Amino acid sequence: MTSAPRIGVFVCRCGINIAAYVDVPAVVEYAKTLPGVTYAEENMYTCSSDGLNKIKEAIKKYGLERIVVASCTPRTHEPLFQATCEESGVNKYLFEMANIRDQCSWVHQKEPEKATEKAKDLIRMAVAKAALLESGDEPEIDVTPSTLVIGGGVSGMRAALSIADQGFNVTIVEKESTLGGKLRGFDSLFPHKQKASEVLMPLITRVSTHPRIRVLTKSTVKSVYGFLGNFDIGVETRQGVEVLKVGTIIVAVGADILKPKGLYLYGEDPRVVTQSELEQLLHKGEVDAKIVVMIQCAGSRNEEHPYCSRICCNEAVKNAINITEKESDVYILYRDLQTYGIHYSRLEQEAKRKGVKFLKYQAERPPLVTSEPDGLKVSLYSPTVNEAVELRPDMLVLSTPLVPVADAKELSQLLKVPLDSNGFFMEAHVKLRPIDFATDGIFICGTAHSPKDIGESVAQALGVASRASIPMAKKRVRTAAIMSQVDQTRCSGCGTCLDVCPYNALKKNDKGLAETIAAVCKGCGVCGATCPEKAITMHHFTDAQIEAQGLAALEED
Amino acid sequence: MKPVLVIGGGIAGIQASLDLADRGTKVHLIEKTPSIGGVMAQLDKTFPTMDCSICILAPKMIECYRHPNITIHSESEVVNLEGAVGDFRVKILEHPRSVDAKKCTGCGLCSEKCPVKRPSSFQAGLGQRKAIYLAFPQAVPLIATIDRDACLWFTKGLCRTCEKVCPSKAVDYEQKENLIELNVSSVITATGFEQYNPKDIGEYGYGRYKNVLTALEFERLVCASGPTGGVLSRPSDGKVSHNTAFIQCVGSRTQTVGYSYCSAFCCMYATKEAVLIKEHEPSSHVTIFYMDLKTFGKGFQGFVDRAQSHWGVQYIRGRPGEIREDPVTKNLTILYENTEIGKVERIEVDMVILCTAAVPHRENKELAQVLGVELDEYGFFEVGDPVSSPVETGKPGVYVCGSCHGPRDIPESVAEASATAAKASENIVLSEVGQ
Amino acid sequence: MSTFEPNIVGFLCNWCSYAGADLAGVSRIQYPTNLRIIKVMCSGRVEPGMVLEFLEAGADGIMVTGCHIGDCHYITGNLHTKRKFALLQKLLAKTGLEPQRIRLEWNSASEGQRFANLVKEFTEQVRDIGPTPLKAPKPDAAKLLNLRAAKAAADAFRLRALVGKEEKLVTTGNVYGEKITQDEFTKTMDSAVETEFQVHRIHILLQERSRSVKDLANQLSLQPRTVLGYMVALRQRGWVDVKETVEGTPLYAAQ
Repeated sequence: MTSAPRIGVFVCRCGINIAAYVDVPAVVEYAKTLPGVTYAEENMYTCSSDGLNKIKEAIKKYGLERIVVASCTPRTHEPLFQATCEESGVNKYLFEMANIRDQCSWVHQKEPEKATEKAKDLIRMAVAKAALLESGDEPEIDVTPSTLVIGGGVSGMRAALSIADQGFNVTIVEKESTLGGKLRGFDSLFPHKQKASEVLMPLITRVSTHPRIRVLTKSTVKSVYGFLGNFDIGVETRQGVEVLKVGTIIVAVGADILKPKGLYLYGEDPRVVTQSELEQLLHKGEVDAKIVVMIQCAGSRNEEHPYCSRICCNEAVKNAINITEKESDVYILYRDLQTYGIHYSRLEQEAKRKGVKFLKYQAERPPLVTSEPDGLKVSLYSPTVNEAVELRPDMLVLSTPLVPVADAKELSQLLKVPLDSNGFFMEAHVKLRPIDFATDGIFICGTAHSPKDIGESVAQALGVASRASIPMAKKRVRTAAIMSQVDQTRCSGCGTCLDVCPYNALKKNDKGLAETIAAVCKGCGVCGATCPEKAITMHHFTDAQIEAQGLAALEED
Repeated sequence: MKPVLVIGGGIAGIQASLDLADRGTKVHLIEKTPSIGGVMAQLDKTFPTMDCSICILAPKMIECYRHPNITIHSESEVVNLEGAVGDFRVKILEHPRSVDAKKCTGCGLCSEKCPVKRPSSFQAGLGQRKAIYLAFPQAVPLIATIDRDACLWFTKGLCRTCEKVCPSKAVDYEQKENLIELNVSSVITATGFEQYNPKDIGEYGYGRYKNVLTALEFERLVCASGPTGGVLSRPSDGKVSHNTAFIQCVGSRTQTVGYSYCSAFCCMYATKEAVLIKEHEPSSHVTIFYMDLKTFGKGFQGFVDRAQSHWGVQYIRGRPGEIREDPVTKNLTILYENTEIGKVERIEVDMVILCTAAVPHRENKELAQVLGVELDEYGFFEVGDPVSSPVETGKPGVYVCGSCHGPRDIPESVAEASATAAKASENIVLSEVGQ
Repeated sequence: MSTFEPNIVGFLCNWCSYAGADLAGVSRIQYPTNLRIIKVMCSGRVEPGMVLEFLEAGADGIMVTGCHIGDCHYITGNLHTKRKFALLQKLLAKTGLEPQRIRLEWNSASEGQRFANLVKEFTEQVRDIGPTPLKAPKPDAAKLLNLRAAKAAADAFRLRALVGKEEKLVTTGNVYGEKITQDEFTKTMDSAVETEFQVHRIHILLQERSRSVKDLANQLSLQPRTVLGYMVALRQRGWVDVKETVEGTPLYAAQ
């Protein structure tokens, strides 16, 4: 039978921040009366090197096994005190704080007696929890220093190169028979009119000859098991099924270009093409139209695809400049011109200088396209000129959006990563984790994330190369010991915990019972609160610990 | 292994530092103001998710502070750079804050007792701070700084109250500037942007009409930690604003006063601020005057659609020509052409927000010279090849991320920051292999 | 205004609400001293049974705060908090305790003033209702029984399984992809709450001593045939059985 742990309490004066409002000496005396408290003292600044030394000395002298510091907020100072405990041989999870400054002395400055009583209560609560704390072992997992890149287009290749250059092995799985992705169909690129092949060929060459990169073309991912550092991926290759063992996964599957059959006579009249089809025609030198009309937002910013596809305005402007240089007239019919930033603003200005005509149309009154005996007719009302306009183009180019690839849903289910409402892959956090998935070890870049241009895709590709390299460079990753644990004798296999975990940190073992994947669990506690059998313990925030805190709070003196 | 230098402690600099530090690389993070955080620390919420800005930023700031691999040099700047990729020798000038960083606990008592007030740049000039001050409550490092130009001791030889009241004896008027030399393998520039000052656009009355504000001033007004505690009380009379207009492209997309480029994120931050007004005062009327609605980013179009359909924000396509102030009510009348219908109209509002462009930092020129890299015609850092090498300057080993090379939003800045970390990591591996 | 000082316990999530409370402190915004804060990683950790336990222990008011919807640090945690709190409200309504003794709020890390206002408001709200009828030394016996039954129901399989599955069933659907409408679900939950509440009331009484159906019906203000119906359920669960028959009347006891 283990005896009650020896608890030490350190009450900080924090200069006058606490001491001016809370009677610190009285609080220290009170702490000494609490069950399990072996030792209590006050410090001027517990976080100063002086204060930290006193904690270490007291641990040694009094054989303290649990430490409570009553001071400021754990959000800033907990790691510091935890490190101090560890240095004296007390596991960091045997430490608890009572916030008697930010949540007491500072907010009850006019009621010092009540603030003092509250400080005592908060310490009593912390001591009650501390008595029930257990050591935590932070799980360490080995990380396989190799990456799977799904998709061999610009983004996939650029990510692969950077990861390989950083010293890790990479396998690219590409479903087509060659590398290159959508960029293969492009001619000249904005903003500087480089040839697409000049961008693509060096990438393909480097990727194909890099000693750390293995390319599997005409291959697809069929199964995904495991977690960060230890993924088992089943890939169907030209030679049959192969299982890859990797530490991280990059999703770089790109996007498709919408071909909107029936829209503005597309698919019915050969003179109506998409921008990418125009690219191919320009590349072959087969464009001899004298009047070209381009319609923006053709199939986007509508109910079916309620998003802006970012690149179409710039693509149109670039193509328009190309055509104008061949002495043709180009009209761009737009809703809002998305020529954002430095480079695209310049491109727009260049287009205007070269005589490209921009006519706005309203979403509620889209252009009407008809096929007349003497050619195509495009009619619209344009606020730019405040009147109805009729155009007779030789060629009509539709700026259509990028849409998710057809197998996005299947891949998302294999990887257990989410898609957003438009079917693009959904990142962990829109602002601060734009290229991570919430699931550890899996990352997203390029147009699979959302429509973007090549430079932006390359930036994201390099970005995921950095993100993926972090766990691989560390070789082992540690996660906090605040996590769930499923009692195998109480679990009835209902699977409700799996439903509520946003990280896929629970799995069903071969007995059909739930089990925590320690390395992935973030310790939120939702599974513990949910389990119908009450079979899940939330370490460091157990039912008993929470109960002890609450009952201590309500104890009458 | 040599450390990496990150210049600029905004969200981009913070992300680059954390990526590198997390994989075991040492980072020196140089920040010229007393605290890291940058513009993101001043925002109330971020589009399109309406996350509380400081809530998502502060944990990253604290992570930088506590990370064993990151050394933050605040109140510091880069004054010299020599060498080449893999072996740069850089000189950092640490300005004296007149407070001993090892002793200061950030309690704020000095600031409480200081008799001198100055406009607070954190509050975009709408609020005040003292001559000795903490940048903002969540500042990292949370160490007081003395503005020697304002301090009575430094200007007149008087006072010294802060020294008397400081419980940790941290005030040090004798503190000198410090020049340190570092040897780093790569340099990441993440110095961000400035806001265009619209005083040069006379027709909009900024600086003359009290109720014409810039977007950043509005952020502070609407923010719970701002000078009014988040109450939308307009400057002239404190009345809660019920009819607000936003004007886009202030200082951008113009051939006359300002810059000709599109500042990329202003349409979105205007929408965000409009929604914030609606959240605070659902009955208020909000109008955004725009030229082209830039909804190109992920989630942007949906956000704008919701602003219109759910919140009732009005969008009018037209660039206002003039704003006039009613001398009694201080309300503002906007004259504009509604280009959708081709009519000239006017509208009276009680507050106007000018959505000012993101413009290059006035210090870019000097920094570019020190680093030996090019600026474009506007003064932003120039990237060599925006398609194949979007974060590389013309000088190997010197990288850029975030708005220092052109306006971009937070997700893009964060992704680019990781990209520069990848490039820096490649350099480290290359130098280890000796290639 | 009463001078009674309510004892209030608050569950604050680590990421948003605890930080918001800290900000109130950093900004020196003053608020009443009645609140005692328990930090949890996510508001989704909070179980209805915990709140009911603290009410039983004499808390006058309990508040739960988390991140705003959409901002949860653990992505979906607060969605589950919302569901569980709705269940808690249903259970509390059965007990006869005032519904205003519990409160769920979202508070972000930047809303220091808001947090302070919340504490002020909630403290006044609870002060107005008055001390909990469950306060020792003379707790209201009927309400205490009800509260214990509510807690037992909150900790038992059926309600936990229902509320645990609610978010998924209503938003994405079951394994067959069939979605349940919120209305359908609420009907099911309401019925389950009533059943479980009554079943546990009976169970608790039978744990004290064996009783007849008529006796239970009197004690619980229910129709005898209603009690009999629940007794069947209790017997099926194996929780009670007939202990003995006295003058032709079966007496049930807890197993």
